[in-house]
Amino acid sequence: MATDTGPSDGGSQATEPFPPDVSRRDLLRTAALVATGAITGGSAVAVSRRGASGPSPSGSGSVRQLPVLETVPVADDSDPLIRMQAELRRAMAKPIEQRRWSMVIDTRKCVGCHACTVACIAENKLPPGVVYRPVVQEEFGVYPNVQLRFFPRPCMQCDEPPCVPVCPVSATWKRPDGITVIDYDKCIGCRYCISACPYGARTADFGLNYTDDTPELQPYEALPNHEYGKSWSRLQHGSPVGNARKCHFCLHRLEVGLLPQCVTTCIGRATIFGDANDPASLVSENLRAPNQLRLLEEKGTKPKVTYLV
Amino acid sequence: MTRTVRWLAWLWLVAFALGLIGLGIRVFTGERLVGYGSYVSWGLWVALYFHAVGIAGGLFVVGAIGYLLRLPGLRDRLPVVLWTSAAALVTGLVAIGLDLGRPLRAVRMFVSPSFTSMMAFNSWMYVVFLATLAACFVLLRRAATSQPRVDRSGWLVPLLGFGIVLGVAFPSQSGVFFGVVEAKPYWNSALLPVLFLASAIAAGAAVLLLILTFLPRVAETPPNRTFDYLRWVTVGAVLVYFVLEFAEISIALWSPASHDREPVELILAGPFWWVFWLVHVGGGLLALALLLKGRSLAATGTGAFLVALTFVAARLNVLIPGQAFPELKGLGEAFQHPKLAFYYQATVPEYLVALFIGSLGVGLVYLGLRLLTGFTISKPERAQ
Repeated sequence: MATDTGPSDGGSQATEPFPPDVSRRDLLRTAALVATGAITGGSAVAVSRRGASGPSPSGSGSVRQLPVLETVPVADDSDPLIRMQAELRRAMAKPIEQRRWSMVIDTRKCVGCHACTVACIAENKLPPGVVYRPVVQEEFGVYPNVQLRFFPRPCMQCDEPPCVPVCPVSATWKRPDGITVIDYDKCIGCRYCISACPYGARTADFGLNYTDDTPELQPYEALPNHEYGKSWSRLQHGSPVGNARKCHFCLHRLEVGLLPQCVTTCIGRATIFGDANDPASLVSENLRAPNQLRLLEEKGTKPKVTYLV
Repeated sequence: MTRTVRWLAWLWLVAFALGLIGLGIRVFTGERLVGYGSYVSWGLWVALYFHAVGIAGGLFVVGAIGYLLRLPGLRDRLPVVLWTSAAALVTGLVAIGLDLGRPLRAVRMFVSPSFTSMMAFNSWMYVVFLATLAACFVLLRRAATSQPRVDRSGWLVPLLGFGIVLGVAFPSQSGVFFGVVEAKPYWNSALLPVLFLASAIAAGAAVLLLILTFLPRVAETPPNRTFDYLRWVTVGAVLVYFVLEFAEISIALWSPASHDREPVELILAGPFWWVFWLVHVGGGLLALALLLKGRSLAATGTGAFLVALTFVAARLNVLIPGQAFPELKGLGEAFQHPKLAFYYQATVPEYLVALFIGSLGVGLVYLGLRLLTGFTISKPERAQ
């Protein structure tokens, strides 16, 4: 440590030996402050990691006894939608922690019609620039042996979702049934989760409307959406404007015994949905197929959407 | 130099007025007119935020060490260092506040934080850092009024030491902020925290050097150890940054199949090649030449200004290319909308808000200089 006072710079007290030499006591106090900070910071991270799950219904409170549609019996040759509907009722009769929602998309049946994309937009009243389920098109082969393949891309509902730990306010978490959700009332709109998702499955609601630059907002844009079982109105900059948004496997529909809108709409029955904990379910049958792949598995996210190729 | 300062004051006034227009647009239209979207979700304001917090940390580290080394100009100017560091941090927080989709909910980071997020962790470090600055300020004032000048509490030096650790920690944690995002291979690098720290030290030392060139009493005694100290720290940090940047670029370009090749090629030869070559490299080299060879106060100040300004380009060259390529090929074409594009061009309202952010920072620093040193733009300069 320098002990000279250096050349004068015109200060009135420049000749005073100030600041004093750094003493051993100063070093000990500095070390104590740094150690306190490090221990506090480390403890805070540890506590946050342990309490990473957000508020979710659990136990008997999450059980739903949905009505059985006796006029539509399930037979061996029933449409997959009829079967999945019945399996959904069965799954909802279990507590949430015993369900494990999964999706299988059979790319051999997908014709790239984008009906799921459009149905999702209608169901969740998505504004311009927000999309939950785009259909990614892949072209492979060399002319003249060229093929197209379509990959509808919902949220992968990862078992290790990279979007959850980066949220600074715990506005997003993974439910016991495996669905990652967002609390629009908590989200601050930092878009860190959007950057963290390797699938690009989260989009931001920038407050745009389809009728921007037209004389008036049309009534359909003023309607609230019902994601997460609540009524969300975007009027007057209400949430989810300014928030991150994502596919949630139509949780609000599952709660009342309806399949996700993209599943219901799929004309080729390429999207299969259900409880992977139910070994007799259609989705479990398909999850046992050998010709399956998951997107970007090398990222370690453990996605719960599986593709059949 | 008085004429220069007055000319700068007019320039500041114009920038601030334009910035206020941008702020009004931001408040009344939200984020509807911004250039970033859902795939390139962070743009110019986030770059400014990281640049400003880097300056805050770097400036404090360099200034506090200079104070402990009793360098003239820093020994009696520690309040200026504390104020300027706080001003830079507050400016950065304003920048990131304006970038949030729901700015008023930012308070949640302090009410119900999740420390698994580097964003929340950094936010708390900023608060602790600001509290440390305030405590140092109070102790310093008390010491200045005592006869002889002593810090009776004995906590000033330990707090400065703690502040130095924080001043190193949060700029480098800014690099970790990006580094933990495994979805973006270009960001997922252990070098990033070191790069962010080097740029923070470079820009922080440069801002301090720039301020000292404007303070008349320091200007009376050039060349002195303080100027040399700040000049060499700035030059050294810029050189370290360039070396590390070269290492990263060379690995990407020499590797036969690097995930980083596309972003690096975008930086070097993409539509915004000039940001790297002209602003970052050109501006940096010119700054180095001025700092190393400049004999006048004006040359030194200009060099410092160039470092402080052009290192925003370094931030942008980390931020934007990292987001410009989808991990899922074909995603950009799957659903068409301007907000769903892997391309970013800042819009006029974004530039206007950037002017507000920049002029706010300069205004706060000026306010501090005026209150703490009596510096005023109307005061005739005494000597050079």
